[in-house]
Amino acid sequence: MSETALRPAARVVTRPSTPRKRRRRSAYARRQGRAGLAFVTPFMIIFTLIMIAPLGYAVYQSLYTTKLIGGTSFSGFANYSAVLQSGDFWGGVIRVIIFGGIQIPVMLAIAFFFATIFDLGVARWGPLFRAIYFIPFAVPIVVSSVMWGFLLDPAYGPFNHLMNAVGFHNFNWLSGNLMIPSIIIIAIWEWTGYNCIILYTALKSVPRDVIEAAILDDTPLWRIIVRIKLPMVRPAIIMLVFINTIGAMQLFIEPTILNNYQAGVVTNTWTPVIDIYSTAISNGQYQLGAAMAVVLAVIVVAISVASLGFRGRRRGQQ
Amino acid sequence: MLSRGSSPRRTNRFAATGIAGVAAVTLLAACSSSGGSSSSGGGTASAPASSGATSASPTGTPVLAGGNCSSSAAHITFWAWVPGMNRAVNEFNSTHTDACVTLQDPGAGTGEYVPLNNALKAGTGAPDVAEVEFDLLPSYEIQKYLVDLVPYGANKYKSLFAPWAWSQVSQGNAVYAMPSDFGPMGFYYNQQTLAKYKITPPATWDEFAADAVKLHSQNPKAYLINFPANDPQWLMDMMAQAGAWPFQYTGGANLTINWAGPAQQKFAAYWQKLLDEHAVSAIADLSPQESTELDTGTLGGAIYSAWAPSYFAPNVKHSVGQWRAAALPQWTAGGKVGTDWGGSTYPVFSQSKHPAQAAEFSEWLTATDQSWSIVKTPPSSLFPTYLPTLQSSSFKALTYPISGTSQPNQVFSAGALSIPLTTWPPFMTQVLTQGATTFGAVVNGKQTLMRAFTAFQQQETAYAKSQGFNVTT
Repeated sequence: MSETALRPAARVVTRPSTPRKRRRRSAYARRQGRAGLAFVTPFMIIFTLIMIAPLGYAVYQSLYTTKLIGGTSFSGFANYSAVLQSGDFWGGVIRVIIFGGIQIPVMLAIAFFFATIFDLGVARWGPLFRAIYFIPFAVPIVVSSVMWGFLLDPAYGPFNHLMNAVGFHNFNWLSGNLMIPSIIIIAIWEWTGYNCIILYTALKSVPRDVIEAAILDDTPLWRIIVRIKLPMVRPAIIMLVFINTIGAMQLFIEPTILNNYQAGVVTNTWTPVIDIYSTAISNGQYQLGAAMAVVLAVIVVAISVASLGFRGRRRGQQ
Repeated sequence: MLSRGSSPRRTNRFAATGIAGVAAVTLLAACSSSGGSSSSGGGTASAPASSGATSASPTGTPVLAGGNCSSSAAHITFWAWVPGMNRAVNEFNSTHTDACVTLQDPGAGTGEYVPLNNALKAGTGAPDVAEVEFDLLPSYEIQKYLVDLVPYGANKYKSLFAPWAWSQVSQGNAVYAMPSDFGPMGFYYNQQTLAKYKITPPATWDEFAADAVKLHSQNPKAYLINFPANDPQWLMDMMAQAGAWPFQYTGGANLTINWAGPAQQKFAAYWQKLLDEHAVSAIADLSPQESTELDTGTLGGAIYSAWAPSYFAPNVKHSVGQWRAAALPQWTAGGKVGTDWGGSTYPVFSQSKHPAQAAEFSEWLTATDQSWSIVKTPPSSLFPTYLPTLQSSSFKALTYPISGTSQPNQVFSAGALSIPLTTWPPFMTQVLTQGATTFGAVVNGKQTLMRAFTAFQQQETAYAKSQGFNVTT
């Protein structure tokens, strides 16, 4: 299978839409098409079984209502109407948007800063520090949340002693006003290393000759970083914004664990996923929970499409 | 000692254990698993099951006992989270030839209930017998998941159990589970701390309120007890003692919900007054903070239950030997009213192919001296509903390192026989989760307990009606 033969075939496979081309396809190209299908099929079967089918089943379930007295009956869009009118659910959505709106930019700025330092090679033992910054990502979120719960504990957590020492008495990191900032700190700690590695890899792929040319032109370092490197890793940054936004929308573990350290702050509707969990698991209203999950999925998809659209437009401009 | 506790785990139910369950629901919204702040972790332990594992188990749950059954014996699958339960199962297996029990521990509280509910809903995969807390039994009864044990001779054990426990497992003429352990409540206090403030254990709630004020006025950083408003189970148990129990349910579609009546509001006003006077602290109960404050003397005591000495012991570093138990303060002077916090039962599920042998095991486990001689000892340390053990002098005389030479079981055993009868609504998980949120606002001072009770009345009524119940107050 020579490379020259493979190239046109591949092009045909990726553009099967026009019938004229399809008719012209050679026997070889058809074989290639079948081979492609064979490669894709196992994934598609698993994808259908574990993603599409449960999704479809959840949508189906969300149209029903089960009562302890009276059993299951078709209820149309009653569950959706309940979700759309639920102040608690939308309060949770707004809370995670605020959370993500602060956490993601701050984290990406820190991650880019460290990635640049590693990329420049000015720090000694760069690989060691890359590994150290990556460690929080390897710690299960439940474990890190428990750890941070002890660190921020209002009675004897070291962070509290710190605030006391600098003059803030009765400071409570886990109080109603500071729960979101505290979780932002935790999330930044957890995810900066991961984002840093992605950005570092992207920076490494910036062509050396471009940088060398800029250096020969006596361009200052900060300009190289901000004007050349940053734009060139924009696709990676957009991807990270995208992934982190989806993660932020699903905030669950950190507030759920911290709830054990501070009573009365994290409610059973504090984030959309906590709301879904208490509705489906604690209240036994699985179908209502399914409707909430579908609504949340639609919100996440809308944000994803918007961010991809932004990326596409950017490309078009260049 | 033990980290047992039906109720202690309850508080944490919302926490770590929820993660596996939520994964299924959030699958929908999950396009990413690698990025962001909330990928799901946790899940069940992944130790491999030993050779005898049956298919009826949550994935990867290790077999703790049994598993080497002869082919002639009926195979019984048993789920429980009480540590050391394998000792009783091995004893049963070695003394019975007709049945062979395999024990698995899917996790405490939700860790067990989620796979159990899933298996029951699916119609396959449920164990023959499982540990179910008292308050959740009606939730299983109403869905017809439980086998009536009366045809298997359960009624002949009735006189062997504390009356409250037997009333919990029976409904009409049916008996839906065998009761095992429970948690009669008392005032658990640090002798030295109280002596320092010249306080003796109060006999009435009026004295209790005065003592709480007295202690706090001597040391503005210290409190007599913590009032855990976020823990609806603790609140409801205390309401039972005050004659203000808020639910009545005896099966069927009729349900009484009463959080806003005079008795309930009087109870709420009592505690709100102490909160307003800052005479009690308001932090999460059974939390690291509470344990530390009890150990270091910031809190003088706690309204705890019989399992508390064992539950609390691992966290005690400074106050070993200083802890004493006293009877609960009374609403009427000279009264002897107790109440219960937590405890477990062992029902047989309707999916069981061997209900006779499953019932035989459940009855043996809960109603024989042979079993109790094992499960009353650490690490199980169950507090018996089984009267022959509960009333035996050797059980009452047990001592615990944190209580020095005192015998806390004397107090808790006495309280065990004076518990007002209570009936739980058949959706207690909802009550506990919603209650934690509604009453949690009281901890922050954003809401008074009276108003929280009124709000809760509306929330529970709305929920019960949405579930098809006829609600009265």
